[in-house]
Amino acid sequence: MTPGELFLQQILNGLTIGAVYALIALGYTMVYGIIQLINFAHGEVFMLGSYMGLTVFLLAGTIGSGGVGWLLLALCTATVGCSLLGLAVERVAYRPLRQAPKLSVLITAIGVSFFLQNAVMLGYGAQDRYVPALLPAVRWGGGAVTVTPMQGVIFGVSLLLMVGLQGIVYGTRLGRNMRATAQDPLAARLMGISVDQVIAGTFAIGSALAGVGGLLFGVYYSTINFHDGYLVGLKAFTAAVMGGIGNLPGAMLGGLLLGLLEGLGAGYISSQWKNVIAFVVLILVLLLRPHGLLGERLSERA
Amino acid sequence: MSSTFRCILCALVLSPLFAGCGKGEPVVKIGFVVPLTGDQAAHGMDMQRGAELALEQAQAKGPVLPGFKLELATLDDARNPAQAVSAAKRLAADGDVLAVVGHLNSSCTKPASAIYHEARLLHVNPVSSNPQISRQGFDTFFRICPTDDLQGPAGAHFAIQRLGAHRIFVLDDMTTYGRGLANEFLKAAQSTGAEILGHEGITQGEKDFTPVLTKIKGLNPDLIYFAGMFPEAALLLKQRFKLNLSARFLGGDGLFEPALIDLAGPGAAEGMYLTTLGGDIRQVPTAQEFVKAFEAKYGHLGAYSSYAYEGTNIALEAIRQAGRKDRQAVLTAMKQMKQYPGILGVHTFDAKGDTSIRTIGIYTVHSGKFEFVE
Amino acid sequence: MIPGRLLRFLAIAAALILLPIIDGNPYHIDILATAALYALLALGLNIIVGFAGLLHLGYAALFAIGAYTYALLNLRMGCSFWLALPISGGMAGVAGVLLGLPAIRVRGDYLAIVTLGFGEIVRIVFTNLEEWTGGPNGLMGIAHPVFGSFNFGVNSTPYYGLLVVLVAATAWACAKLRGSRMGLAWRAVKEDELAAGCLGIDASRMKLLALGLGGWIAGLAGCVFAAKQGTITPDSFDFILSVMILAMVILGGIGSVTGVIVGAVVLSAAPELLREFSAYRMLLFGLLMIVLMRVRPQGLFGTSVSPPAR
Repeated sequence: MTPGELFLQQILNGLTIGAVYALIALGYTMVYGIIQLINFAHGEVFMLGSYMGLTVFLLAGTIGSGGVGWLLLALCTATVGCSLLGLAVERVAYRPLRQAPKLSVLITAIGVSFFLQNAVMLGYGAQDRYVPALLPAVRWGGGAVTVTPMQGVIFGVSLLLMVGLQGIVYGTRLGRNMRATAQDPLAARLMGISVDQVIAGTFAIGSALAGVGGLLFGVYYSTINFHDGYLVGLKAFTAAVMGGIGNLPGAMLGGLLLGLLEGLGAGYISSQWKNVIAFVVLILVLLLRPHGLLGERLSERA
Repeated sequence: MSSTFRCILCALVLSPLFAGCGKGEPVVKIGFVVPLTGDQAAHGMDMQRGAELALEQAQAKGPVLPGFKLELATLDDARNPAQAVSAAKRLAADGDVLAVVGHLNSSCTKPASAIYHEARLLHVNPVSSNPQISRQGFDTFFRICPTDDLQGPAGAHFAIQRLGAHRIFVLDDMTTYGRGLANEFLKAAQSTGAEILGHEGITQGEKDFTPVLTKIKGLNPDLIYFAGMFPEAALLLKQRFKLNLSARFLGGDGLFEPALIDLAGPGAAEGMYLTTLGGDIRQVPTAQEFVKAFEAKYGHLGAYSSYAYEGTNIALEAIRQAGRKDRQAVLTAMKQMKQYPGILGVHTFDAKGDTSIRTIGIYTVHSGKFEFVE
Repeated sequence: MIPGRLLRFLAIAAALILLPIIDGNPYHIDILATAALYALLALGLNIIVGFAGLLHLGYAALFAIGAYTYALLNLRMGCSFWLALPISGGMAGVAGVLLGLPAIRVRGDYLAIVTLGFGEIVRIVFTNLEEWTGGPNGLMGIAHPVFGSFNFGVNSTPYYGLLVVLVAATAWACAKLRGSRMGLAWRAVKEDELAAGCLGIDASRMKLLALGLGGWIAGLAGCVFAAKQGTITPDSFDFILSVMILAMVILGGIGSVTGVIVGAVVLSAAPELLREFSAYRMLLFGLLMIVLMRVRPQGLFGTSVSPPAR
C-alpha cells in the first residue's frame, strides 16, 4: 500500500464514522437550539434505534426472507419508534421540569439514560447482539483502498437527512415555529405558537435521526450492545459542540471533523491516544472560537 | 410537606442499614461477585449460572453443612474496582459468608483479595489470569485458572514456531487483563527474536478500529496479536476482512466464545487462532456431565461458566470438610486439601495459591467452528 | 451561629460519631465512609457549580490527580499520608486552575464540554503513561495512613472518622464562604457577569479561585480514596463518576451545603441498598433519580426556585 492509498483509506474510514456522529449530533444540536439543554438521554435513544432495527431483522429471520425491503421496514420502525421514544422522554423527563432550575433536567435525563440502558440489558440480554448484514459484503476497490456499499449508504443517508432537516427548519411552519421558539419562547407563545408542541416536535425529529443513526450503526458494525449509547453519545455531543451547538450544519461539520480526527489520530499517531487528540483539538477549537466552528455569537442568557 | 418529605426520605435511605438483622433458620453463604450490570454483564451472568448450578447439584446430594441452609450471596461489581471493594467489604462483614468465589476482571480481583485476606475469608478466583494477583502473598487466595505468564509465552511460541510469524503487531484493550497478557506475549516474542512492529491499545466498547487496522496494513506484518475480549476481537476480525488485510490473527482466552464467530461472521473469523486457559471443555471427559447439565438447563454455555462452577464446587468442598460454620476452619480445610479432582482436571495449589493445571490450549476457527489444534 | 443551629449541629455530630459504635457492621460503615467521600467531593464541586455557576463535567479528573499524587509520592518516595494530603490537594487545586486558565474564556455549556474533555484526557493519560502510573493495571500497595502507632488498615471505620472530620470542616468553611465577600462576589458573577464587572469584581479571578478551591477538595478526597483502597486504577475515575458527583450536587439542591451532603448520601447509598435487586438495581436507580427530581425539582434542599431558564 502506498502512502497515498493509505491516506485515502484513512480519510474514508474517518468520514464513515464521522457521518454517524453527525447524525446523532444533529439531535443534540436541535434540542439544544430550542431549550438550551443537553439531552443526556439522546445516546440511549440512538442505542434503542439499533435494537429496534435488530428486532425487525430477527422477525425477518423467522419469516425467512431478507433484502432491501426489510432494511426499509427496519428504517421506518427505528424512525417511528425512536421519535415516539423521544416524545416519551420529553414527557417524562423534560416537560414536568420546565419551570425548574436548568440543571435539574440533567438528573432526570441521566435517570432516563440509566433506565433505558438497563431495560435493554434485561430485555435483550447483556451480550453483544449480531445484526445480520442485509447488503452483500462486497469490497469495492479490490486492491489497496476498499469501500463497502454500506459506507456509501451511511454517507448518503446522513447527507440526505441533513439537507431534509435544513428544509424542515427553514421551509415549513413547524420549522418557523421552532426558530421562533429558539429565539424567544415567551414571544413565540404570545404569537400563538404552542411552545410545548414545538419542543415535543423537536424531540421527535431529533430522536428519529438518532434512530436512523442507530440502525445504520448497527448494520454497519454488525454488533450492538446496550452500552453503545454511552460512548457514541459522548462523541456525538462533542461533535455538536465542536461545530457550534444549536447550529445544524455545524453538527454535520463537527461530526465529520471528529471522525476524521479519530481516524487520522489512530492511523498516524496512536489508537490509544486518539481520544486525547480529539479532545485537545476540541479544546483548541473552543479557545479560538468560543462558540464552536459555525456557532453564532449569542448573548448570554440568564 | 417538605420537611416531612425530608424526614421520610432520610428514614427510607437509612432504615435498611439497620434492618435485616432478623433471626431465622441458620444460614451459611458463599459470596459470589461478578459484573451483573455494565458492559461485561454477559460474562458475569454466564458465570452466575455456573455457580448456581454447582450449588443446586451439591444441595441435591444432601446438606453441605448439616443444620445450615446454604445460600449463594450474589453481588454485582459492575467490573469497577471501587464497587468490587465495596462488595467485598459487604461479604467480609456478613458473618454467614464462609467463602467467596469471584471477580471476573483482574482489576477487581486484585483490590478485593486484600479485603478477603484481612477478613480471613477463603477466596477462590475463577478466571482473573493476571499473574500479579497471586504475588501479593495472601494465603486466602486460590486461583483455578492458568495465569498470563503462561498464556502469553505459549501464544508467542505458537506464533513464531508453528505459524512462522516474524513481523508481529500487538494490540490490547487497555485493561488490566489485556495489557498484562499483551506484555507477557511481547516479552516472550521479543526474546524469541520476532520483530515487534508496534504495540497499541484500543478502547473497550468502541466499534471502529479501521484506522489502526489500516495503519497495520501499511506496516505489512505476518501476524496481529490481540489481548482482549471477544466483542472487540469480532470487530477487529470483521474490519480486517473488509480492509483485505492478510496478516494472521492470534488472540488470548478472552476470545474463546462461540459468539465471536457469529459476531465477526464466519468468513472473517476463518483461520484465526487463539490460546485458551485449559483445553477444550467439550473434550475433557470429566466435564461432559457438567456441559450436558448446563446446556439442558440454560442452553448456551458461556466461556467462563465452567470456571465459576468449578470454583463454587471447590468452596463447597472446603466448607464440607471444615464441617462447621467457621471461616478459619474453612480456610484450614482448603489449605489441607491436597488435591481437588474437578471437571477441569485435578487441581493442586502451590504456595501462591495458583493451580497445577497449567494447560494452555490452542484453537483455530475452521468452517465456522472452533477447532482444537494442540 | 445561633444557639438553635449550634444545638442541631452538635446533635448531628453526636449521631455521626455514635453511628459506627451502635452499628458495628463493617459493610454499613463502608457505605457510610463512601457516602462521606462522595459528600466531600460534592461539596468541592458545589463551590464550582453552585457558588461560581461553572458547569464542570470533569471533576473526576481532579479527584484522580489527588489519588495518583498520593500513590506516587508514597510508592516512589515513601511519603506519609499526612504529608501527602495537603500536597495532593495542592496538585489537584493547581490542575483545576491550570485547566481554568483557558476554560474560563468559554461560557456556559461550552465550559462543560471543555471540562469533560479535560476529564477524559486526564484519565487516558493516566492509562497510557504506563511507566509512571502502571497503566491500566494501576498502582497497588499504597500505604494506609498511620496515626501515631495506629495503622488505619483496610477496615473502613477510621476512614469514616477522618472523612467525617474533613466533610464537617469543608461544610463549615463552605457555609462561611457563602456569606463572605467572596461568596457574594461569586454570586454576583454567577447572576450577571457584566454587572459584577462594573462593580469592580474581577470575574476571571473569582472563577479561577472557585476552580482551585474545588480542585483542592477533590485532591484531598482523592488522597483519602487512594489510602483507603490501597489500589487505584484509571477506570475508577471515568466520566460517569463526574456525572454522578454533579447529580449529587443538583439532587441535593445546588448551592445548599446541607443539601449537597444529603444528595451525596442518597445517591451513593442507593445503589448499595438496591443490591438485593442484582441485575435490576441500576434500572431502579434510574427510576429513583427521575422520581426524586420530579417530586423536588429544585433539589431536596434547594429553596430558591430561580425563574425558568429563558
